[in-house]
Amino acid sequence: MATLKVGGKVFEVDGDGFLTDPSVWNDEVATMFAKLDGIDELTEKHWAIVRIIRNNFEEKGNAPMIRFICQETGLKLREIYELFPLGPARGACRVAGLPKPDGCV
Amino acid sequence: MQKIDKVKRDKALELLKSGSDSKLLTHLNACVRCGLCAGSCMFYIAHKQSKFIPAKKVDLVSSVYRRYCTSMGKIAPALVNAKDLDDSMAEEMVDLLFGSCTMCGRCVKHCSIGVDIAYIVRKGREMLSAMDMVPASLQATVDSALRTGNNMAIPTEEFVDTIKWMEEELIDEMGDNNARIPLDEPHKNVFYTLNPREPKFFPLSISAIAKIFYAAGENWTISSRFYDVTNYGFFNGNKEQATVIARNLYDEIHKLRGNVLVLGECGHGTRANRWEGPNYLQKSYDFDMTTAVELIADYIRQGRIKLDKTLNKELVTIHDPCNLVRNGGLLEEIRFVVKSAADNFTEMNPHGNENYCCGGGGGMLAMSEYNDRRLKIGEIKANQIRATGAKVVITPCHNCVDQLSQLNHTYKLGIKIKTIAELVADALVIEK
Amino acid sequence: MCWYHWIAITSLIFSVALFSYQFARLVIPGRPDDLSVSSGSVTKGVVYSFTKAMAPGAKESAYLHMPTYAGGIIYHLGTFLSLVLFFVLLAGFPSLNNPLRTIFSVLLFISFFAGFAILIKRIINKDLKSLSGLDDYISNVVTSLVQLFTAIYLLVPGAEILYYLSVALFFIWLPLGKTKHLLFFFFARYHLGFFYGWRGTWPQKSE
Repeated sequence: MATLKVGGKVFEVDGDGFLTDPSVWNDEVATMFAKLDGIDELTEKHWAIVRIIRNNFEEKGNAPMIRFICQETGLKLREIYELFPLGPARGACRVAGLPKPDGCV
Repeated sequence: MQKIDKVKRDKALELLKSGSDSKLLTHLNACVRCGLCAGSCMFYIAHKQSKFIPAKKVDLVSSVYRRYCTSMGKIAPALVNAKDLDDSMAEEMVDLLFGSCTMCGRCVKHCSIGVDIAYIVRKGREMLSAMDMVPASLQATVDSALRTGNNMAIPTEEFVDTIKWMEEELIDEMGDNNARIPLDEPHKNVFYTLNPREPKFFPLSISAIAKIFYAAGENWTISSRFYDVTNYGFFNGNKEQATVIARNLYDEIHKLRGNVLVLGECGHGTRANRWEGPNYLQKSYDFDMTTAVELIADYIRQGRIKLDKTLNKELVTIHDPCNLVRNGGLLEEIRFVVKSAADNFTEMNPHGNENYCCGGGGGMLAMSEYNDRRLKIGEIKANQIRATGAKVVITPCHNCVDQLSQLNHTYKLGIKIKTIAELVADALVIEK
Repeated sequence: MCWYHWIAITSLIFSVALFSYQFARLVIPGRPDDLSVSSGSVTKGVVYSFTKAMAPGAKESAYLHMPTYAGGIIYHLGTFLSLVLFFVLLAGFPSLNNPLRTIFSVLLFISFFAGFAILIKRIINKDLKSLSGLDDYISNVVTSLVQLFTAIYLLVPGAEILYYLSVALFFIWLPLGKTKHLLFFFFARYHLGFFYGWRGTWPQKSE
């Protein structure tokens, strides 16, 4: 099990840097994880995406489809890729404190 | 606590009994440990550690073979480098065969003898799978596919919603209400397949191929239940599971009475279906199989689609997926399509059959356990890309796309990564 | 014929018998079964595998390691020369006159040193050392010794016993150690040619 030190705190993460225990996640964690990906400040648009992913995870136990994120936030696909340069999976899902999705991501 | 009991070990050893398998017998016995393969392997080049030499990986498997399957290994194991299959051996095998080989086969091509090193690594993975020692993250991806029919466990209704959404976008973009992404339609010429990461997170490649099919006037469909082109059973070494997954597509194309199974842009998925599939199922397929790349190439040759390559002006380069090029023979086909769709093209050095893996092959991308190694070997690819000066990297494999995207971010390459369909869709001239 | 001739001949028969058995196991299964649809030519792939694919320019194991590669080639040529000379010497060929003996002897001293250098490399190179076991050292030593003793025997008839015993040791080890690549090498090239030929990767075209 790997650990990740950010902002003076230590988190247990998997090898890809996804939180091992999603329940330790909060807004502050999101901000710190985002910084690691080079996102210095989470804007309203970032938060909208993060919240939808997080809510979906808490309700259904997995990441939502990108369609759902677009539909709920009103953002265009390309905007989402720009907001999270690592993409919805390695970028947004990690910031939202989810475990790494399976498959080629 | 002991991990391997006799039952497990016997199951693993059974896989080495080469009885009537000339290929297995050959590759288990041919390595001379000259060690010259080291310089052809990304893991060794990036880490400079002896344990990453490809011959070492072969030796793990063949030393066990010698110990249990040859007279010399039984009588005088030390003389012929024969080793017991115990816990520490099995753990070393997990670390090296799962954790430090993408089975790209670059060392195979350069081997002084001609040992199929990747084939032996896969045999070793089969042994580990027989002993329940597949890394958890990789097994989870296989389990998702077995449970739900796709490796990201996307529910059918959510998949359908995404396809409908893409269809609406297509109608808007084409300005034609007849533009379609047909789902579950029988008797179509093309039965198309996807990598689940497309509907889940990156659907632009679906709109791209839909646009190409629209332009070509193709008769096509996607199944809403079994559309997954991937088969991680090829990576985890469990042939029974690989067979179940391969059978999904086989049965579905029959159910929909499709004509040609078109494999979406996925390296290992193409390999697992086209080259391994009939062998998994132990029958010749009674339908044709081709890849998206070859299909698009045919459209271009037959004039079914018209491309204006000046629409893609930026300098592009190709990343050759190992399973499509070195292990799949598509070297020229990929170049034909890319050169037809891009104005400005340059090759990586080395490229084609000599190409380095993206670093995410062999299931590495799914195995969080080895993330650091994966990114480190990826630096070789990152440097290759940077040296070309290209702004866009084209690769017909979604797995490569994901690894390259991460390399792009980690090594600050400032490039765009596109599939072939995305490149071609951008160059399409659609006559109204 | 003396006792040491017979030891060498018996060892040769042992070697041939074991290789024949392995050969049968490799050949009897026939062409590999592959139910997929080939997009290339196995014949062309196999031919390519034995020809152009073996060119030094086609393999990093050759062109990135020229000194080792050259050493290896010389070493192998020496081994084959020793094998041929074994039959010549055993038959007591009269045509093997003195100048010819000297030439072969010098060649074999050279190939012996090539083999010795490869052995030293295996011992001092940390990567190679970690990869090596007894088999690697034994295989090198028995092969190198045959070359050395052939070279000596060609010039010094008194070394006859030592020569035949070294040959015997070599023949016994040949099918047991990694030296068995004498046989498996050809099958490895075949199967690799089959694999790449089937999928149209070999023969490699323009690129």
